[in-house]
Amino acid sequence: MALPVAAAPRSSVARRWLPWLLLRLGGVVFVLWAVATVTFFAIRLIPGDPAEAILGGPGSQASAAALAKARADFGLDQPLPLQYLHYLGRLAVGDLGQSYALRQPVITVIGQNLGGTLLLAAVSLVVAAAIALGLAAWSAWGGPGASAVSSVLEVVAAAVPHFWLAISLILLFSTTLDWLPPVSIPGAAGLILPVLTLAIPLAGFLGQVMRESILDAMASPFVLAARARGEGSNGVFWRHALRHAAIPAIGLAGWAFGALISGAVVVETIFARPGIGRSLLSAVQQRDVPLVVGVVIVVALGYMLVTTLTDLADRLVDPRLRAR
Amino acid sequence: MRRVTLVLAVAVIVFLVLAALAPDLLAPGNPLAIHPLQSFRGPSFAHPFGTDESGRDIYTRIVHGTGASLLIGLAATAIGVGLALVFGLLAGLGPRWLDFGTTRFLEVLFAFPGLLFALLFIVIYGPGVVTSTVAVGLATAPGYARIIRSQVLVVRRAPYLEAALVLGRGPAHRLFRHLLPNVAGSLFVLVTLGIGQSIVWASSLSYLGLGAVPPAAEWGAMLSAGRTYISSFWWMTFFPGLFIVLSAISTTVLGRGIQQRGRLS
Amino acid sequence: MKRFLSPLIAMAAVGLLLVGCTTTAAPRGSAPVSGGTLVYATGDAEPTCLDPHVGGNYPQALVATQYLESLVSKNKAGDIIPWLATKWTESANGLSWDFTLRKNVKFTDGTPLNAEAVAANVAHLQDPATGSSTGYLALQKVTGVTVVNDLTARFTLSTPDSALLDSLSQPWLAIESAKALKRSQAVNCESPVGTGPFIVTKWVHQQSISLVRNDKYNSPPADAAHTGPAYLKAIQWRFLPDSASRYAALQSGTVDVIDNAQPDTLVAAKKTKDLVAIDAPRPGASNRIELNSSIAPFDDKRVREAFIRSADVNDAITSLFFGTAKRSYSALSSVEKLGISEPKLFTYDQKAAAKLLDEAGWTQRNSDGYRVKDGKVLELNFPVSTNQSIPAEQSLFEQLQATTKQAGFKVDLHPLDLSSWYGALGANQYNLVSAPYTKVGPDVLRILYDSDGTKPAPSGYFANHSQVKDPALDALLVRAGETSDQKERASLYKQAQDIILGGYYILPLYDQQNHYLLRSTVKGVRAMPTVSTPTMYDAWLSR
Repeated sequence: MALPVAAAPRSSVARRWLPWLLLRLGGVVFVLWAVATVTFFAIRLIPGDPAEAILGGPGSQASAAALAKARADFGLDQPLPLQYLHYLGRLAVGDLGQSYALRQPVITVIGQNLGGTLLLAAVSLVVAAAIALGLAAWSAWGGPGASAVSSVLEVVAAAVPHFWLAISLILLFSTTLDWLPPVSIPGAAGLILPVLTLAIPLAGFLGQVMRESILDAMASPFVLAARARGEGSNGVFWRHALRHAAIPAIGLAGWAFGALISGAVVVETIFARPGIGRSLLSAVQQRDVPLVVGVVIVVALGYMLVTTLTDLADRLVDPRLRAR
Repeated sequence: MRRVTLVLAVAVIVFLVLAALAPDLLAPGNPLAIHPLQSFRGPSFAHPFGTDESGRDIYTRIVHGTGASLLIGLAATAIGVGLALVFGLLAGLGPRWLDFGTTRFLEVLFAFPGLLFALLFIVIYGPGVVTSTVAVGLATAPGYARIIRSQVLVVRRAPYLEAALVLGRGPAHRLFRHLLPNVAGSLFVLVTLGIGQSIVWASSLSYLGLGAVPPAAEWGAMLSAGRTYISSFWWMTFFPGLFIVLSAISTTVLGRGIQQRGRLS
Repeated sequence: MKRFLSPLIAMAAVGLLLVGCTTTAAPRGSAPVSGGTLVYATGDAEPTCLDPHVGGNYPQALVATQYLESLVSKNKAGDIIPWLATKWTESANGLSWDFTLRKNVKFTDGTPLNAEAVAANVAHLQDPATGSSTGYLALQKVTGVTVVNDLTARFTLSTPDSALLDSLSQPWLAIESAKALKRSQAVNCESPVGTGPFIVTKWVHQQSISLVRNDKYNSPPADAAHTGPAYLKAIQWRFLPDSASRYAALQSGTVDVIDNAQPDTLVAAKKTKDLVAIDAPRPGASNRIELNSSIAPFDDKRVREAFIRSADVNDAITSLFFGTAKRSYSALSSVEKLGISEPKLFTYDQKAAAKLLDEAGWTQRNSDGYRVKDGKVLELNFPVSTNQSIPAEQSLFEQLQATTKQAGFKVDLHPLDLSSWYGALGANQYNLVSAPYTKVGPDVLRILYDSDGTKPAPSGYFANHSQVKDPALDALLVRAGETSDQKERASLYKQAQDIILGGYYILPLYDQQNHYLLRSTVKGVRAMPTVSTPTMYDAWLSR
């Protein structure tokens, strides 16, 4: 994203931040508009009569009158450009339409399910970062053996499909050991297996990224200098190498958000956990177009929010970016 | 250690390629032959990976399914990288406005996290092998495109390209003689890394019931058929899953190996 | 060896189930305990509306059994027994029925159960705006309901209907509060109001339905184990579509009862003391493969018979169902008293199949081993509904594909979602299809095999998938539907079934599978003898 040239004096905070914020906001609105437009026209490609889909597919024995009523109710009898404008207008005020299958406003369905997914994703992100850090620290201290083993662990973790991991964890911890519930129940115990399933592959990816930058950092002049000053390897690792490694990891936040949401579709389905991932999958299976579109738009909004926040964090942390 | 894993990865890949090209060499049986009265047998000497619900030998099915599974991974990666190449080159070589437009477009695509894009595609075209392959390809394209674009930008500013420009070489010459060969190395790594991921993605879609369907001896379809019996007959899901994981790991290790070699030389 | 063992296992299993039923129905040595929340996990689809008048499918019936009640019910022997109606009389000409309603019964919104309410319910079912399918079809002969007095409702009919009581016993024709029905359909779908032992309080879509005890409940059916309110304080009705996680949740005690238990888990459950199984086959039609007799090659009876003879159903059932499903040789469910069984017609015999195909002119074979006639391959299109056929059944079709291949049939299996599946049927491009149909009583034969059933509705759906068009059969089914003489009715239905089975229109597989698994701490659960849905009215928790 092109950043504004901030020639303004450093004293004025507003002048420095306002153009950046405006541009950023413009970008968000643009992407949301584009996402909404792409999905709107993409769903027109679906074969068959949408009115029939609303009434439960060709098997629903819907009468001609009922079809006509559904068309009128959902505005499907209007010309396409008008439908598009109505759609954008409703979107602008946060109206995502009515779910065909659940007969509820899409926004209500998403509202009921978003919290569960966000909790799952947030806890998984923390756990993944902890695992990745643990492995990085171990390879930094444990010598070449530890480094090699943890690098293999990272590759394996990153390659394991979520569903296979979930099944293996259920077989081990629920069916065999009977320690943890195999489906999500309210409370911490029900969160453990879904979180592990989401966190382990993510930890593998994060670990791989952090390893490279840590190894680079450990060999870099400022670390050598710190060592020369007599700092212990502990201090060097935590104070310098890790901070250096955190920057590319933070840059991955947008990607990690996408990976967590994608993973949530599988994890929520297997563990029968309420969330937008599970809603999305059943909406896809039932061809519940408004719900699919609603989830896609909300997720896109979330993605934009995350990337904007990370950019903001970058600007706060790294003064060089502000000057540009 | 790194060398050992690389050798192991190459061994797995050789096995997979052999299984894909000449399955009868590794498993002479018929993957579709049913023996109802020998169903659900656990791993044994006669059936190293056990049998499935129709008494079919799971090892034979995995070997015979390798071709289809690898093909899905390859095709999806080809679609993804192919699209990415077009976008990446447009953005990296074209005029400023084209770069701007393409980059914005990619940004929009990035706002659909991978699986979401694939699901949206499946809603439109219905589930199936072809749709799920294309869906995975499309879903992975933006990521590749971003990498290719940055590669192209680096190469574009390289002295030899400027020299070619000064010498008055046409755009086609610059593209095929200088640019592509220099991007090819990282492309190869990208494809190697991508195949494993594509197989994982496609099998996830199959697992969710949106990809290949039984009785095809495709790994994802075998998994999807075995999931019903997971509590009683673990081998029906474990072994097909193991091969998905193994192929993903070995392609990743191989890709990284090539990447490192490139960096050292 | 296994071939001989399996029937034994099956018999032992049936024995165990019977024991299981009696112990749960009448617990020895321990009195029922009041209170507690039971968690039920269903693998069926989530209903789009909790009022089973709207549409009318099995998932709706499952949950509606907990909060809605019908005019009549059935006992284990299959006889009609009183429920919301205490008695009923049919007029001499069979064109009107008087139902006397139970006294002092109130809907959970406080309105009384009376003749007006019954009339409002029938009107609601027959109103096209309701969008009823199952209830609407069952009331086809009913012209209306008049109020004789506060507690007497008179049904008037266009022609006599021997299936009326069977129809009224179904949950899709349950009686709801007339006041509640006046609300908008959207509201009524979220919180239907009945007279049942539980009340719907909250429905979180895609997650669960919350039900609480109706403390004023006083209208159990005549065959219930107790009177007064239910023992359970509440029920949580969860949607857990993945069969593996559903079973795992039951094993770990996260849920107390599951439905749609898979064959392998039923076998595993038998080995543990923690779990109890209830086998409750659904009434109506058996699960069968229908052969489309309206288009080639099945317009030739010999080819139909050849297909049936070359399909090794028994080995497939043995391998896939572990003795939890018994082979059926009937068009009707084993719970239908008037069903007849003809094992001789369905013996597996490849030689006979080959001979029949030769006679029918399919004498050549191509390089793949498939039969060819006039350059056309003996190919059969088989759309499979993944929503209606459980995984084991889909595997069974794959095995039949392999055994009929020996005779030279090329079966193309097409797994489809429900809506595409209906589309394939509507286009009449199928040769084979398997569609479940649940209805109380043998009148289901009229829906499935009458010539009228081949005419597509405006949507393209029709129920007579084998497309039998036989005037003699039509006449038998009409007469059987009108007579109230039990002997004559039985004889007419037998003749009708002889035509259906002897014409090789269907390949019966087994009863519509309906297995519940419960933790052994759950006592008193039973399946209603009407459409085999579980009722939690007598259920209690001993933990």
